[in-house]
Formats: sequence, C-alpha cells, structure tokens
Amino acid sequence: MSRRVYLDHNASTPVHPEVLAAMLPYFAEVYGNPSSIHAFGREAREGMDLARERVASFLKVSSQEIVFTSGGTESDNFAVKGLAWARGKGHLITSQVEHHAVIRACRALEAQGFDLTCVGVDEFGMVDPDDVRRAIRPDTVAISIMHANSEVGTIQPIEAIGRIAREHGIPLHVDAVQTFGKLPLDVDALGIDALSFSAHKIYGPKGVAGLFIRKGSKMVAVQHGGEHERRRRAGTENVAGIVGLGKAVEIRARDMHTEAERVTALRDRLWDGVRSRVPEVRLSGHPGHRLPGTASFLFRHVESESIVLGLDLKGIGVSAGSACTSGNVEPSHVLVAMGVPLEWAMGAVRCSLGRSTSAEDIDYVIECVEPLVRKLRQAMPVGVV
Amino acid sequence: MRYSPTLVDHFLNPRNAGLMREPDSVGENEYEGCGDLTRFFLRVRDGRAVEIRFQTYGCGPTIAAASMASELYRGRLVGDLCRLEAGEIERALEGLPDDRKHAADIAAGALRAAAFQYQARQG
Repeated sequence: MSRRVYLDHNASTPVHPEVLAAMLPYFAEVYGNPSSIHAFGREAREGMDLARERVASFLKVSSQEIVFTSGGTESDNFAVKGLAWARGKGHLITSQVEHHAVIRACRALEAQGFDLTCVGVDEFGMVDPDDVRRAIRPDTVAISIMHANSEVGTIQPIEAIGRIAREHGIPLHVDAVQTFGKLPLDVDALGIDALSFSAHKIYGPKGVAGLFIRKGSKMVAVQHGGEHERRRRAGTENVAGIVGLGKAVEIRARDMHTEAERVTALRDRLWDGVRSRVPEVRLSGHPGHRLPGTASFLFRHVESESIVLGLDLKGIGVSAGSACTSGNVEPSHVLVAMGVPLEWAMGAVRCSLGRSTSAEDIDYVIECVEPLVRKLRQAMPVGVV
Repeated sequence: MRYSPTLVDHFLNPRNAGLMREPDSVGENEYEGCGDLTRFFLRVRDGRAVEIRFQTYGCGPTIAAASMASELYRGRLVGDLCRLEAGEIERALEGLPDDRKHAADIAAGALRAAAFQYQARQG
C-alpha cells in the first residue's frame, strides 16, 4: 500500500506542526502546576492564560467565561448537567440528532427525574425552531442543540433557536465541537449561553477541550475538588494541551476562511465524481447549510462497513454510518431521525476533508469507490434490506 | 490489520458470488439483530455439491466467510454439508475477531439450510 488518504477529519485531525512546537516546552521545560504561586507555576499559568485569551478572542467573549475540560464529551456533560442541576428539577429540550454525549447526559438526567423532549428533524437533519418553541414549558430549564452534525454536516438554525430561548429566558447550550474553528462563531449574536468546543477537531491535541459559560449563567460544577478554573471545574489543568488548543484556535482564526473555500470545492469534486460513476448514491444532510468539508454518502443496497473495509485496504480512511458489533447492526440515530429508509441508511459512509486533502487524493478516492461498490453489489441479494 | 490475508483476499475477490440458474436447492440465513444475510445455491450431482454459489449482504468478514465456504465445501457430500460447523469456516479464514464471529455462523447456517432443503426434496 503506497498512497494513504485520510478523510476522517470529523473524527480527529493531525496536530498542526505549529501547535506541536508551541506545546513541546510545556512538557519538560515549563512544568509547574499553574495553581502554584511560585515562578514555575506562574510560567505555566502564563501559557494557559494566553491560550484562554486566544479562545475568548475567537468567540468574542471574556476570557473569564472560558473553562477548559478534558474533551468535548466532558464539556457537553458539564453544560447539560450543570445547567439542569443548578435548577434542581424541570424540563430539558434537545434534539434527536445530538452527539451521544448530549443525548445520554440528558437521558441520565431523565432517569434522575427531569423531563425530556427530543425534538425531531426534517429530511435534511435540520431542527425546526418552531418545534423548539412548541416544546417549551413553564418549567423548561435548558435547551441543548448542536451547531453542526458530525455525521451529515447539517448546520442548525442556532440564531433562530437562540432568539426563542432568550424570549423565554431559558439558557441555550450549543455543542459546537464540529464548527469551532471551522466557521465564524459569535455567541452573542447567536444567543448562546454555553458552548462546547474541542481541540482535536481543529489540528490541536486530543484530551483537551473547553466550555464557554456566559457570565452570570446559573450553572453548577459537575466535577468537584480544588479551586481550578474559578471553581467551575476541579482538577489540575492539562497545560500543554491547553497551550496547543490556544495555538490551534489562533491558526484557525487566520486560515479557516480560505480553507473552508478550498475543502468545499474538493468536497463538491468528490460528490460529482462519485455520483457520475456510481448508480444509486445520495448525499445525506442539508444541501446548502452544511459543514464545508463533510460529504456523507448513502450507497443503496451496500453495507457501509464493507465499503469502509474495502477503502481501508486501498489506504483510505473514512467512517461508517452504521456499525456492526457482535452481530448487531444499528443504523445511525441521526439517519433514523431523518427518516432515511433502511436500505439507504445501512450504506452510509462519511468522508470528512481537511487541510492536507488534495485534489489528487479526491480523484484517487473516486477511482477506488466505483469498482468497490460495483463488486459489493454483485454479491448482493437485491432487496434484502 | 485485524483480518488475515486470506480473509482480505476472499473479501476483495469473492469466489462463486452471484446467482445460480436453476439450482437444485437454496438456503438462506439471516443473523438476528443484524442486517447480515447470506444465501447459498447448490448444484448436486451423485449426492455431492458440485457447484456452490452465494449472494450476501453484510460486512467484509461476512462476504469473505460465504466466499470461503463456497470453495471449502465444493465436491463434498450433501449429508456432510448438513453437519458443517462454523468453526471450520473460521479456521479456513485464519481466524475472526471476537466481534465478527457471526460472519462464519451466518455462512454455516445458510449452507446447512441449502443442504437440508436438498435432502428434504429428495424425500
């Protein structure tokens, strides 16, 4: 295998060389605990403070409103549980297409006595803001809707949902893990009170992320211990990771507009190439309101994991929309919520492009997809699913 | 790679895939809870499966297991096919990861079903 093509940037990204260079001194040279008052600690804190300022500047918020965490999943749990527990009881609103970190956190709260409404989506995976409005009750304590879906790339109408949330005085949490550093984010204009973001989706390291919490928001800590992060999230900070996150955001603020244009063109090249060669293939997600680098294909009457394996053997990394574990295949909850028929949903394959993706990579993928799908379909009993 | 070179070869180059015209028997097996399905077609002469073809819908190992079974059992007595076990197919594929053991089960069940159908028709 000679050529390797990584088209799974929505899952994770390689650390940018400038990010790695910024992080390296924080392992062995600047190693103090940022909570310590001596010079060793102060040096670590300076690095962390700069990162906090870079994130705050990107979101156009105060650095005091940024809390660092260990990952997008922690940020989502923190936001949803922190908002709910601060109010003790009541009703939560989320959508059927959220990341499991939000859906399962909400389900855990439901088991504790909170009421939960999961609003549906249309065929493009988009939430109707009016559905959110209709779901609101006098005891609704929080709304959590993602900014963009990692599987199908659909961008939600957050501004309209934010307006509704504000009209009713309900805090809005937005899981922006897939858009932070990819699209401009103005939390004031969008009416957001809490926003989850992560480093490793934007060429930063894994294991570090954050949560914007609007000043004055009623939110309790989920993790208890020391006085870190202004008593909102206990635990010694991952200083090197946070420095990397700060650097990654700085680079994205500089590069994201040109890269969005570039990957959008490549994504369209991929789609045009595949659909012109392969019969019975569709693109899932919204045709216009979608992440720049995400192309989610639905191949009818093919099993997605066999495509992922076939492409893997050609050195291409993509992800399956349905997963088979110990003989249990479940189509993605996102595609189910969108009402995608099973015969299409089982053949879901996501390609997510990034800064290293070239036109040659895309042409190679197109070349590999056509014969693979043709061969898989030859062995297929038509009309099975 | 979590799959053996033999499995990968059968996945990429499935043997005997596709329909059979006027088979002597057909057997099918669908794995419960999983969308995977395999269908075998047998041509029998003098009590032996002289030709075995298959169609399958499933993940890579499921395709490879059906392909392997179609080669492994060609020329064998139908009575033997009624007693075949998934472990034989798994061994021929040089192993399956724990979460893909069902691939051999599906192929074994479908091929046994085809053999049983042939025997039932013979009375």
